[in-house]
Amino acid sequence: MKAVSGKILFATLAVLVLSGFATVSAQDKLRVVTSLPDLKSIAEFVGGEKVEVFAIATGFQNPHFVDPKPSYILKLSKADLFATVGLDLETGWVPPLLNSARNAKILKGGAGYVDASTNVPLLQVPSSVNRGEGDIHIYGNPHYWLDPVNGKIIAQNIYEALRRVAPGDQAYFQANLNKFNEQIDAKTKEWIAKMLPFKGTKIMAYHNEWPYFEQRFGLQIVDFLEPKPGIPPTPSQLAKVITEMKRDNIKIVINSPYFAAQSADLVARNVGGTVITLATSVGADPGIKTYFDLFDYNIAKMVEALQ
Amino acid sequence: MQLEALGNGAEPVRTSKIANLQEETVLSICTKTQLSDQFGFTSKPLALSIKILWLGLFGLCSITVAQQDTTKAIPADSLLIQQLQQQMATIPQQAAPAAAPRATLSTNPNMSVIGDFRATYFSPARRHLETEFHEAEFAFQSVVDPYARADFYLSLAPDPETGEFAIELEEGYLTTQTLPAGLQLKVGKFRSAFGKINVIHPHALPYIDVTSVYNNYFGEEGLNDTGLSLSWLVPNPLDFYQELTVEATRGPAENISFAASEFDRFLYLAHLKNFWDLTPNATLELGLSGSVGPSPAGFNAAIGGVDVTYKWKPLRLNTYQSVVLQTEVLWSHAKIAAREKIKSWGMYTLATYQLQKRWFLTGRFDYSNRPYNASFVERAFSGTLGWLATEFQKAEIEFKMTSSNAEERTTQVLLRSVFVIGAHGAHAY
Repeated sequence: MKAVSGKILFATLAVLVLSGFATVSAQDKLRVVTSLPDLKSIAEFVGGEKVEVFAIATGFQNPHFVDPKPSYILKLSKADLFATVGLDLETGWVPPLLNSARNAKILKGGAGYVDASTNVPLLQVPSSVNRGEGDIHIYGNPHYWLDPVNGKIIAQNIYEALRRVAPGDQAYFQANLNKFNEQIDAKTKEWIAKMLPFKGTKIMAYHNEWPYFEQRFGLQIVDFLEPKPGIPPTPSQLAKVITEMKRDNIKIVINSPYFAAQSADLVARNVGGTVITLATSVGADPGIKTYFDLFDYNIAKMVEALQ
Repeated sequence: MQLEALGNGAEPVRTSKIANLQEETVLSICTKTQLSDQFGFTSKPLALSIKILWLGLFGLCSITVAQQDTTKAIPADSLLIQQLQQQMATIPQQAAPAAAPRATLSTNPNMSVIGDFRATYFSPARRHLETEFHEAEFAFQSVVDPYARADFYLSLAPDPETGEFAIELEEGYLTTQTLPAGLQLKVGKFRSAFGKINVIHPHALPYIDVTSVYNNYFGEEGLNDTGLSLSWLVPNPLDFYQELTVEATRGPAENISFAASEFDRFLYLAHLKNFWDLTPNATLELGLSGSVGPSPAGFNAAIGGVDVTYKWKPLRLNTYQSVVLQTEVLWSHAKIAAREKIKSWGMYTLATYQLQKRWFLTGRFDYSNRPYNASFVERAFSGTLGWLATEFQKAEIEFKMTSSNAEERTTQVLLRSVFVIGAHGAHAY
């Protein structure tokens, strides 16, 4: 009888497995997987027609909390390159995905692994680490892609990996990288010029994810609706924020697409201000299709609100 | 649920560079300040300001100097004092030199401790109320070398009879990272890949008790054994996630359905996991499991299972709302004599609804026979309310009513507090 049950089990599994058997067709493009859509956009600029890029997170999803769905393991198992924001931003979902990907190329230490934060000058590197302070990032604030100048460093990191993985196309990638860098330089000047009249303007934000944006475009974020990073707003924190906004005549609260709007709305109503939802990533709004669109959108929103 | 936060991770080299830079800045200020004291200023206001400065920097110095290489030379130049004063005058108040980050290079594994404390009410009983430190779980996780990683989970738990704490290896295994053809090999002691919940550590489940069917067929600890586990990502034309896991293990030490044999007979297990993204917000998982091995009576036992899990969570506002629907059914064929076999089964079905960002409600129905008693029928209804304070702490309360055709109806109320310190690896989806 044991043999029968064993055979039934084996037969069932064999049928299911064999029914799924097929060869994977040869692919001429490099398969790139990125954790966030911002890295995807930059990888597309640098890799051009030689790459096919898939981003795990969407632009309107909280990048700290993405579900490590098995379907992403499948993408990673076939990837030639994997780019991550790093700095423990994706610590809840990238490690379990990579551990199950069975793809040595894209593991840390592999030719196809890109830590996009390499060489980025980091802000808010903590001097001590204590979870009593909330979800602090031990290596520094990881939202560095929100400064377009850091986009050039990300592009450089992706370029280095593309060069390692496909040395034959180095000249092509190099040309794309140069073009991307020139565009970033030109556009950044434009964006800064637009924001210049509002230099030093004080604002509020929901979560501490804007220091790079703030520094580049001359804003001053005074406080956050979250009492500590990752801890939802409390009545006492909102009262404190309202007091601060009234005292300093602050009229703008920045929200992110993945935070419920109630708290920000409540604060804005109390001080006669406005809430603006800025895009945290490419794809946060259907119109934001590239890394350049991200800043076009955010700068336009800021300027509109500040005028 | 938990995050892998401290210890190794991204870019420690850069961190230590910054650390050095800041350390040097502080050191230079320290040595200069000490110099100013040696020179003994007579001008009162100046002396006073220097004293204040000295006091203010003393803390920094004492911390930093302690970490310094004592062989470093101290430059002696009175110009430094002026430079120091200029420096201090221009430094804005909030830009005081930051202390060096403590994240340094280390080959230590990620370490964490999880506490699982419970208070229970049970009726009927002579003593209704009980508190229990159910388990302290120590986890050590790290990459071993370019080819593999290792995970250890040590459980420190009280003996149910004596209450004395004893440590045991809950899991300890090596996982390969570089096998070709979508293969991954696991060797050591681990939770068997049976069904959906057997591999999940109890503290990560959305309820406190053990489902009747798992309790009756595998025991409170689940199926956990020592041996090999090979899994394969099955390539398929529809390009969905299909993973086949086969395991060969020695036979568990304490289990209801299976046991270690005196002969060359082992426990074999196969699990086929299928996973589909129905929409960007919804997923479906279908698992088929089968295990065959020697039973405690020395005969053979076979258990098959089907598990179905549907999860819904909107990508936008992904931390506020979610739904999980899950059902598992187990069938057991247990031989108890040369010509006598008992066929029995059990199942559970549950729904978890996320009410708010931090609040979760789970309802569950259990139905189960026992492996050696097909006429025994146990039914249980339970409801659990969970509050997830952060990724590192949660509290839950569960009400459970159990009835059967052989025993008195029981009522249970369970309270649980789960908390983690250190860097605990994130759980699988």
